[in-house]
Amino acid sequence: MGGARNKGGRMPLVLALSLGLTGCSDSGSDNMASTDGTKALSISAFINTPNQAPTADNRIYKKIEQELGVKLNMEFIVGDLQQKLGVMIAGGDYPDLITADPKLVSAGAVIPLEELIDQHAPNLKKHFAKVWNKMKDSKDGHIYWLPNYGVISGEYLTTYYSGPAFWIQKDILKEAGYPTPKTLDDYLKLIRDYAKKHPAIDGQPTIGFTTLAYDWRTFPLLNAPEHLTGHPNDGGVVVDNAVASVFADKDMAKRYYKELNGLYNDGLLDKEAFVQNYDQYLAKLSSGRVLGMFDQHWNFQPAEDTLVSQNKIGRTYVGFPLVYDTSIKDYYLERPAPNLNNGFGISKDAKDPVRIIKFLDALMDEKYQKLLSWGEEGVDYMVGKDGKFYRTPEQRKQQEDPAWKLANRADGFFGAVPKMEGTFSDGNATSAGSQPEEFYQSLKPEDKELLDAYGHKTWTDFFSPPPENPVYYPAWQIDLIDGSDAAVANKQMTDASLKYLPKAIMSKTDQFDSVWNEYVNAYKKINVKAYEDRINEQIQWRIKNWSSK
Amino acid sequence: MAGIQQIVPSKKSAAGAASRRASLLHRMRGQKQLMWMSMPIVAYVILFSYYPIWGWTMAFQNYRPAKSFSEQEWVGFKHFAFLFSDATFLNVLRNTIAMSLINMVLGFVTAIVFAILLNEIKHKLYKRTIQTISYLPHFLSWIIVTGIVANSLSVDGGIVNVLLMKLGWIDGPVMWLSEPSYFWGIVGASHVWKEVGWNAIIYLAAITSIDPAQYEAAEIDGANRYQKMLYVTLPGIKSIVVILLIMNMGWILEAGFEVQYLLGNGVVVDWAQTIDIFVLKYGLQVGNYSLATAAGIFKTVVSISLIFAANTIAKRLGEDRLI
Repeated sequence: MGGARNKGGRMPLVLALSLGLTGCSDSGSDNMASTDGTKALSISAFINTPNQAPTADNRIYKKIEQELGVKLNMEFIVGDLQQKLGVMIAGGDYPDLITADPKLVSAGAVIPLEELIDQHAPNLKKHFAKVWNKMKDSKDGHIYWLPNYGVISGEYLTTYYSGPAFWIQKDILKEAGYPTPKTLDDYLKLIRDYAKKHPAIDGQPTIGFTTLAYDWRTFPLLNAPEHLTGHPNDGGVVVDNAVASVFADKDMAKRYYKELNGLYNDGLLDKEAFVQNYDQYLAKLSSGRVLGMFDQHWNFQPAEDTLVSQNKIGRTYVGFPLVYDTSIKDYYLERPAPNLNNGFGISKDAKDPVRIIKFLDALMDEKYQKLLSWGEEGVDYMVGKDGKFYRTPEQRKQQEDPAWKLANRADGFFGAVPKMEGTFSDGNATSAGSQPEEFYQSLKPEDKELLDAYGHKTWTDFFSPPPENPVYYPAWQIDLIDGSDAAVANKQMTDASLKYLPKAIMSKTDQFDSVWNEYVNAYKKINVKAYEDRINEQIQWRIKNWSSK
Repeated sequence: MAGIQQIVPSKKSAAGAASRRASLLHRMRGQKQLMWMSMPIVAYVILFSYYPIWGWTMAFQNYRPAKSFSEQEWVGFKHFAFLFSDATFLNVLRNTIAMSLINMVLGFVTAIVFAILLNEIKHKLYKRTIQTISYLPHFLSWIIVTGIVANSLSVDGGIVNVLLMKLGWIDGPVMWLSEPSYFWGIVGASHVWKEVGWNAIIYLAAITSIDPAQYEAAEIDGANRYQKMLYVTLPGIKSIVVILLIMNMGWILEAGFEVQYLLGNGVVVDWAQTIDIFVLKYGLQVGNYSLATAAGIFKTVVSISLIFAANTIAKRLGEDRLI
């Protein structure tokens, strides 16, 4: 304890000095890079997803190093992103490529990219042409970030669904004769019935429904009400007629949490839902005994990968776009919007921004897009007589193995760079998962059976086709500005929700209302208006500045 | 009159100072090697402990990272005023002090008791085995320890619940981590589990330095085993205990960060949030570095005052002291 820490504070003098020295030599290694393009350039990159580091001799990274002369030195987030960025800013020391965050712009940590792109990056310029204006910072008109997702080229194909939904195990649907739950009530009834019949799964008690509210991953708990009322994913607000308002303390939210309260008192809601961390959440889902949850697919994908590798296909999930009642039209599936304030920026510490942008531009070439997304021809995929890409069953099997992927895929880096989505110029889909034939062939027999039973071809068929995006959509991307009243209010609102919602959900049925009132009162003490004002001001700004394009 | 009186002693002291300076220089020259050897440490302390104090100016500004020092906006004590008027901060202060005191008291008591008991074991191998087992958890990081704690306390087959149910002390699993009133206890117990063996080492060392003749004398006087512990061993390590206590006073506002951050959750936040977590949330995460600095200054000032207070008390009580 205190004593131990005291001792530790002085002892590592030598250690600290030597670390300081290695620190210096470390940043010096960038000097190896030369502009003539012959020597290998080492690019450091900080990525905000908690991937595992690839193996040292990863096939794809090696190929990139050989062909483009760039060695990637990646750091993946461990723990809390905002804390990490805060420390980075306080220390003023940045990697060359850095994950997007508005905080870094206000700290002057990143350089404007528009001139670099204009002069050195024709591929990027072409790729972003359609969304160029949207990428500009609303304060100074510069472009700091290269959005990693949401820019579509060619034809947009959807098969896999990665967004928000109420998820339910495939076995439940099968046992119930493939019903289509439309409302929250339908869904909860399915879960209640199944849990009653199967109190244990694989020897462990069944968990009817779980949720997650850990670190920044609070959307599984907080975002459901906006979807249930037919709104798209705007984050902490619902936007009606271009006016945003906070919903977390309103009746539209109360109704949902009241249902969860009911589930809890029936013993069907995971008791540890509000205590668990992300790893525990994934571990629980991987055990196959959680019947359902509200979440975004990408958030629990690792758990589903584990289920697939254990061949528990019946325990993986199908997402449904639930609403409160059938008069509401679901709006879960959205048209892709550029993922602003995401992806990479180039930091002011980068020694050679020109070579870095040239490197990113080279990756935008279809050749490398194919390498990063599909893999190597003949190794990771085959080309049919008709020119269509496909995978052999063995190749598909490999792609399901997380350990194999660390040695043979560049997923960690590919997730953060700008990428083509839709189709390549040769008509192939930009990823194996969205190539219709390949998608169907890659399905497990259980999945084929399920989709056939519903008469669907893909997972997105369960959702209503999305209407055209409003020009300001989505509001969750709006930068609240560091240290502003809006940012503080946002933090306080999240804190209040995380404190009172679990209390309300876990209360006795007759006490729910009184806890809810406490929650509403706590909300009244927060400067919610500052938050709403900032969002509305930006919505108006977007309408004004983005409408022409 | 007064002038003369003043001149005389000052002359004397000037002469004295001169001779002292000469002897000091002489001594320094004589200990040249030692002086050189201490240079890196002095440089280290200046660089890492004194130079950063400059950053305290941030607490009196609305600090924005991209701007230079002259462009910053000065706001005086605004951030301090915010801290002390914020209900959350006062709550957080309470948690910090409470958990720190719990950790300190529990840590001291368990470590001393453990050391004394361990000292009574005469079987060498057995004693060493126990000691090794007890201090090994010290080398685990908090993230691992909190993982172990969270798993042990789980309602889903966690060992604590299983054990208590087998013993018949509770009927159903208890949700330890979502019950605010248990949180401080869990943190204290985790600290004890992790550090008791490590903290006991220094007391064990102190015990070995006690003159065996004292034990023999006590034995001749007819003291039994417990009396020897009470009247020989405990007084023998008293000075170490006091020094450690003084040193630890400086950490009273450092209840830690990892444990509370990793074990805490929305349900227990009123009891789990410490100053460091508050600073992280409302300072670093929303980009309000000035607030974080203000809280840091507050902590430093309180800690230094506490150290001096403890030191003075020790002096009054006639004990060894640190400064």
